[in-house]
Amino acid sequence: MTTTLPGPAATTSAAVHLDGVQKVFGSGGGAVQALDGVDLTVAPGEFVCLLGASGCGKTTLLNLVAGLDEPSAGQITLTTSRPAVMFQEAALMPWLTATRNVELPLRLAGFGRSERQEKAADLLELVRLAGAGRKRPHELSGGMRQRVALARALAATHRVGGDDEQALLLMDEPFAALDAITRDVLQSELLRVWRSTGTSVLFVTHDVREAVRLGQRVVLLSSRPGRVVHEWQDVPSADPEELAEEITADLREVISTHAAA
Amino acid sequence: MPQPDQAAPDLDEAVGAGLDRLDAPVGPRPASLRRRFVRGFLPPVGALVLLVVVWQILWAAAFWPETSLPAPLDVWNEFAGTVADGSVFGFIWTSVHRAALGFAAGVVLGTPLGVLVAKVRVVRAAIGPLLSGLQSLPSVAWVPAAVIWFGINDGAIYFVVLLGSVPSIANGLVSGIDQIPPILPRVGKVMGAGRLAAARHILLPAALPGFLAGLKQGWAFSWRSLMAAELIARSPSLGVGLGTYLNDGSSYNSMPKVIAAIFLILFVGVAIELAVFRPLERSVLRARGLTGAL
Repeated sequence: MTTTLPGPAATTSAAVHLDGVQKVFGSGGGAVQALDGVDLTVAPGEFVCLLGASGCGKTTLLNLVAGLDEPSAGQITLTTSRPAVMFQEAALMPWLTATRNVELPLRLAGFGRSERQEKAADLLELVRLAGAGRKRPHELSGGMRQRVALARALAATHRVGGDDEQALLLMDEPFAALDAITRDVLQSELLRVWRSTGTSVLFVTHDVREAVRLGQRVVLLSSRPGRVVHEWQDVPSADPEELAEEITADLREVISTHAAA
Repeated sequence: MPQPDQAAPDLDEAVGAGLDRLDAPVGPRPASLRRRFVRGFLPPVGALVLLVVVWQILWAAAFWPETSLPAPLDVWNEFAGTVADGSVFGFIWTSVHRAALGFAAGVVLGTPLGVLVAKVRVVRAAIGPLLSGLQSLPSVAWVPAAVIWFGINDGAIYFVVLLGSVPSIANGLVSGIDQIPPILPRVGKVMGAGRLAAARHILLPAALPGFLAGLKQGWAFSWRSLMAAELIARSPSLGVGLGTYLNDGSSYNSMPKVIAAIFLILFVGVAIELAVFRPLERSVLRARGLTGAL
């Protein structure tokens, strides 16, 4: 019965699907082609790392999926609820406590007070910050702030009424500004949260080791214009050291092609 | 067999909790009440005492005639006299309620004006420079025009107070909005906030420190403009405010009265700043961890 059901759920099994996405900034002679025909699919519940050097349009791509910007050509199909986004900065509202920050997207979505409090408490518990709910951002460490931001991003996927909708988390180098040991802890926290929530994740990074550690699939983008040049499937079963070396070699090659230009 | 599986997450959790403990910023302990009294109250009182002592010495040395520099005691007696017959409360009430009403009207006008200038590009281009310019125009310059337009009445006085406060309030809000980190509105957008919700939940609270600074300056300008207006526009129908009292001192050539009036004007201005704006600003900045200046 499930196979005969018409509609988007039957025709696509992707959380997000990008088809020939192009993005050009400016026009005429000064135009910059940021993305050139990017095809990418993230399956429901899949963790995909988008890897590339500076200027490869990773952030542009993420902004397009997040709906912060429109593609110049091509199509982006989302089957999830509104994607949740995490930036390099936690970008918490400095006048709100941690709990209130997590409640903010729930409030915008129209949840009632008691439901908001309940969900926010659950989400803070999920990122192991149950005791810090009443603290304000300036009283938290960088790693704690980023975890509050993760809880807030997850809260943004909640919709009044619908509960079982597939969620998509977009992350733009969220751990790049943290020190090494905090980053290490947060990477394992993210994996734990991802496993326990079944969210699809599109994770942008320029750190090969981070991509190998986190992703089920790693996608390498070229720079100016951004294009998918290589993909590594089934990353967790590979030897991380070897794979990281291989990917780094590819990344170096991509970067070196820009030396001549 | 389950040991390694079990131990790793536990250790992870412990490392995470340890990091939280170590990395969380430790704020300074709030100072005790006594300390705060010693630090906050004694220096200004000391300065005041010093001023009076120097004044007394200068007066005793008789460098200037009594009509230019009266004795501190004469000024005190003048002030005590107005307290004894209750007239001082009348002056203060007349002026403060005018300034407060004018300031309130200024907030009602200045706030939407500030939002418009900050968010609508054409409006900013058109009247942004004018608004900044008006801030540096002494509002006493409006008194003659106000008197001609409205006659010598409350309308003229409110007009001057309004023109004194609106530019500061609007400009404060504009700079408050301009200084919002661009990431915050973006966060609002990805969370699905519409224009109105974004203004209510992100824009206005984020701009609050700048807006408060504008309010504070707006109040100072209201008070200043009011004194100028009361000094110049005099009529029995207007009642006696502090500015009128000051003018009386000048008319009667009574230096003790003039100095008492100046002290009263200063005193009211400082008292409202300390009683209303300082605590407001302090609580807003504290909540955001901006405690440097306080």
